[in-house]
Amino acid sequence: MLGCSQRALREAAQRQLAGRCDVLVRESGGGAVLTGPWLVSASVVLPLGHPWLAGGLLESYRRLGQLHVTALQVCGIAAQALPPQELLHPPTAGTDASVDWACFGGLSPWEVVAAEGRKLVGLAQRRRQTGVLLVAGTLVGAVDWPLLCEAMGRAQDVAILRQATVSCADLMAPPLAPKRFAAVLAQGLERSLF
Amino acid sequence: MTEVTLGADAWQGVDAAVEALVDKWLVNPGDTVQMGQPLANVVLVKSNQEIVAPTSGHITQILVPAGGTFARGKPIAVLQEAA
Repeated sequence: MLGCSQRALREAAQRQLAGRCDVLVRESGGGAVLTGPWLVSASVVLPLGHPWLAGGLLESYRRLGQLHVTALQVCGIAAQALPPQELLHPPTAGTDASVDWACFGGLSPWEVVAAEGRKLVGLAQRRRQTGVLLVAGTLVGAVDWPLLCEAMGRAQDVAILRQATVSCADLMAPPLAPKRFAAVLAQGLERSLF
Repeated sequence: MTEVTLGADAWQGVDAAVEALVDKWLVNPGDTVQMGQPLANVVLVKSNQEIVAPTSGHITQILVPAGGTFARGKPIAVLQEAA
């Protein structure tokens, strides 16, 4: 799944993958992500005037990021949503390199990290005159980073992505079931949005 | 002449050094547009947003092409108001 500004890369990625999976372009911003059972995603559609939108785009990211932190905490995982000022000096993830083309290759305001600054939840959004779509993706299991990097012609970035990210499966045993996290997240959304 | 910009509200809380990206132009120079009509999609802090025409008129110049970036307050196009 490519971000909206990566649509020019779609054909090349599709050729690289040679039918192993489909390449789609989402309407929100951000970088490429490999979707599958390892990723619990949330799409939240808000009407204009919703309280989450009152403080601008960063405030809506804060709300979504903090909600994910709470849901992870309920499931027994300690994490934090990074305020913008901490992006200047983020908790070390063991690497100074970033992979800008990948959603999980860099950090943006209020995205969620764990295990000394490794990215766990990515956020993006799409704003229109009719409403706002907030999207989030949580890594609950191991990601096939080599496949994603191959699709993007960036095999050299596999090691960086492995260092810069962490999944729920890395943080607890037995692994958190995706359905359990999705249910907890849905409950949190229902409580917070209405 | 009216400059087309991404409104100040969109930049609220965003670090001064951060720039936005023009993702896609929805109009071309010479096009007649109506007030409120979407002119371009831009991306700021992973947020895909619309810039709409501040007034009716026609587009005279595109200042930032698709794929280009712009800072807070910088215009991305110029619009000649309808008479």
